[in-house]
Amino acid sequence: MQLTAEQITIFLVALTIMLLAAKFFSEIFVKLNQPAVIGEILAGIILGPTVLGMISPDIFEWLFSQNEVALSIDSLITLSVIFLLLVSGLEVDLSVIFKNGKSVTSISSLGIVFPFIIGFGVSYFFPSLMGKEQTGDHFAFSLFMGTALSISALPVIAKTLIDLNLLKTKLGLIIISSAMINDFLGWLLFSLILGLIGAGLHGINFIYTFIFTLLFVIFMLFIGRRIINILLQKVNNKLSFPGSSLSFILILGLVGASFTELIGIHAVFGAFIVGVAFGDSVHLKDETKEVLHQFITNIFAPLFFVSIGLKVNFISNFDFVLVLIVLVLAFIGKVVGCSLGAYLSGFKKNDSYAIGFGMNSRGAMEIILALLGLQFGLIKESVFIALVIMALVTSLVSAPFMNYFIKAKNKLNFINLLNKNRILFSEKNNKTGVLGELVELASKELLISKEEILKVINERENSFPTGIANHLAIPHAKINIEQPFIAVAINKNGIDFGAEDGLPAKAIILLLTPENNNELQLQLLSEIAHSFSSISNSLEIVNSNSQEEIINKIKLLSNAKASLTSASSRQL
Amino acid sequence: MFKKLGLALTFSPTGKALIYEVKRLAELFGAEIVFIHNGERTKETEAKLNTLISSIELNNIPFTIEWTKGDVADTIIQKSQENNVDLLISGALERENLFKQFFGSVARKIMQEARCSTLILTTPSNTPKGFKKFITSGEFSTQGESTILKTFEFAVRENAEEFILIKDIYAPALSLTIQEGSSSDDLETQRKRWIDEEEEKMKVFVKELGIKGLNIKFKCLYGKEGWASSNYARLHKADIFAVSAPTKKIRLIDKFFPHEFGYAFEKLPSNLLIIR
Repeated sequence: MQLTAEQITIFLVALTIMLLAAKFFSEIFVKLNQPAVIGEILAGIILGPTVLGMISPDIFEWLFSQNEVALSIDSLITLSVIFLLLVSGLEVDLSVIFKNGKSVTSISSLGIVFPFIIGFGVSYFFPSLMGKEQTGDHFAFSLFMGTALSISALPVIAKTLIDLNLLKTKLGLIIISSAMINDFLGWLLFSLILGLIGAGLHGINFIYTFIFTLLFVIFMLFIGRRIINILLQKVNNKLSFPGSSLSFILILGLVGASFTELIGIHAVFGAFIVGVAFGDSVHLKDETKEVLHQFITNIFAPLFFVSIGLKVNFISNFDFVLVLIVLVLAFIGKVVGCSLGAYLSGFKKNDSYAIGFGMNSRGAMEIILALLGLQFGLIKESVFIALVIMALVTSLVSAPFMNYFIKAKNKLNFINLLNKNRILFSEKNNKTGVLGELVELASKELLISKEEILKVINERENSFPTGIANHLAIPHAKINIEQPFIAVAINKNGIDFGAEDGLPAKAIILLLTPENNNELQLQLLSEIAHSFSSISNSLEIVNSNSQEEIINKIKLLSNAKASLTSASSRQL
Repeated sequence: MFKKLGLALTFSPTGKALIYEVKRLAELFGAEIVFIHNGERTKETEAKLNTLISSIELNNIPFTIEWTKGDVADTIIQKSQENNVDLLISGALERENLFKQFFGSVARKIMQEARCSTLILTTPSNTPKGFKKFITSGEFSTQGESTILKTFEFAVRENAEEFILIKDIYAPALSLTIQEGSSSDDLETQRKRWIDEEEEKMKVFVKELGIKGLNIKFKCLYGKEGWASSNYARLHKADIFAVSAPTKKIRLIDKFFPHEFGYAFEKLPSNLLIIR
């Protein structure tokens, strides 16, 4: 069979319109600080049966529903989903998962088991509540709904963590690692469900599918991964970069996809596992990953998300009660499961909630899963729409909720710790005098004796002088407190604190930090030093006449510096 | 610093070179040496070992010889503990086959399980020249402090030409945020910002330690933790790459999925100093 010139033209026009509409609406949503995917789905709804199909059914029919053209578009969409899963797999870093072992196991296992039980249980015992028709496989439907509620979206979580400046923190690593396991197990489970209902290649017994799947996973993770690591290094070094490594990843992704399709589970799983095997390689460069992401995010992902709107009428199939039920179950399952897992592994209450809400975002992964469920007849349109809406809502609210629960943590920087009641103008003419004033202030607020604070401060002072440079001294110590404490003394005459540049200290900043937090002390020391990084900065601060003026000047100088060093980082 | 050096000694071709190396180090630290040999103690083997040791002029360095039997690595570790060795030295191949990586070579087991600091020499020489380029991982922890302080003192004694403090930073799934609207420039800016922040902290960290005597360079790398610095040490031909000993026991699964300095243990980037 060959497409006629007219069909090829229609196919190309359809793709052009899909990409154009996707780009147009996604850019609007990005400008509004909302996820691009919402715009892309909206583009599909407008081009699909919901709007265009209602206004002008002939045009809709002509563009998207002619047999051969629809088949061609479908093939491209299948390829898009395979590539999306391949790049998702690339970011699953097994070494990070194993490094963060205990907490991650607890969060991810409860984060899967709890929503799965809820989704499965409600679907199994109250199928009509969950939009199940009388026909079809009741058990497979329940398994699918359990899986659909337990999946997490790595890209949304990573972006949320970056926006909240948490990606590189311990909390961020734990959330990301847990989401990685969630993703991995979710897709494994889903593939097995497809195998179970015989949605893959017909005629293969499920037991064989199960055994082949396990063997494939074990082979790829233990042997394939090592072979890929060796080969990728050779490809990087000996062939053109990054072109050859991109081709290598895509080729193996397609091989993996073909293999899993052959053994009776969906192609996406093969692509995902090959992605995981590549993602673990130390030779997979960021440039390669970024080119792949750009290529797939800007070409294949929009096509996929637009295609969602083309398949379903979002108005006639919208069931408000069902959407509400799915949303409530999704929130309860994931937030309670993950928060409980985090709490049981030793996180404090607020951090546990932050982890729960962080893991709650479902994003594109949920939409892909829902579409596959629809394609294989596991769910009907109304459930599909409910899952798409749930994916979008959970992704949208993830960041604000996380932000709310970790607010206290974000305050731990130099600017936020400044307090006008902890700033004094000193007239003393020696180190002992000014330290005495600052320690008295600390003693009153921290309810720790002056002697105890002075002891640790002097110990530190005696081992190495704390005069920094540019009229700044930071006497500091670690002490038994929960939160860091900063007090500032301005001494316009200056006091010798042994600074390397020989200048007397005019800004003396007492810094006390919790005993067990080396990194926090370093962070605050470096932030303070940063604010006083030139003599002109220091003098501008020191010559202030009031506590408020000092705080404002420090803020101003710090912000100016930050905006200079990261001029183009506005989105992150 | 190191007052008692242990040497896991075999009759291998590098045995003699290792004695030359340990002799130089003993002189450098003013330390005594404990030679630990695993094998059947017969008149012949004893004579052979004595000949090997006495073929090198140890001057007045005090030394003892310990014989062990049983699992080579376990008994060497045990003897070094009994003798209060504070630096255990061993030779090792830079690369090993997969079976040895997972199921244990002697050097690998010593690296992971010894209770004292260990120095694994990849290319011991009969005419050791001293270590001139030190690269040290700089973790902001108490253990990290100890690693830097000890390695720095070692470097000062060696009158090293370069002392580089290195730190890896890595944010998994960062590239994936492109799907959520980040651009490649955004990611590059973010990585650069993290690197700048970490280098600032490293400078403060070293200042806090109050170490002086050598010009310290700071290097923060973005890449998989452990791998990036280990690879840097390899590419920049470090004489010594120093790391803190793992705080947790290395499980079989960690050998299959290495992380942090598991990469350095898997493929030695240079002579490897593990500080405990």
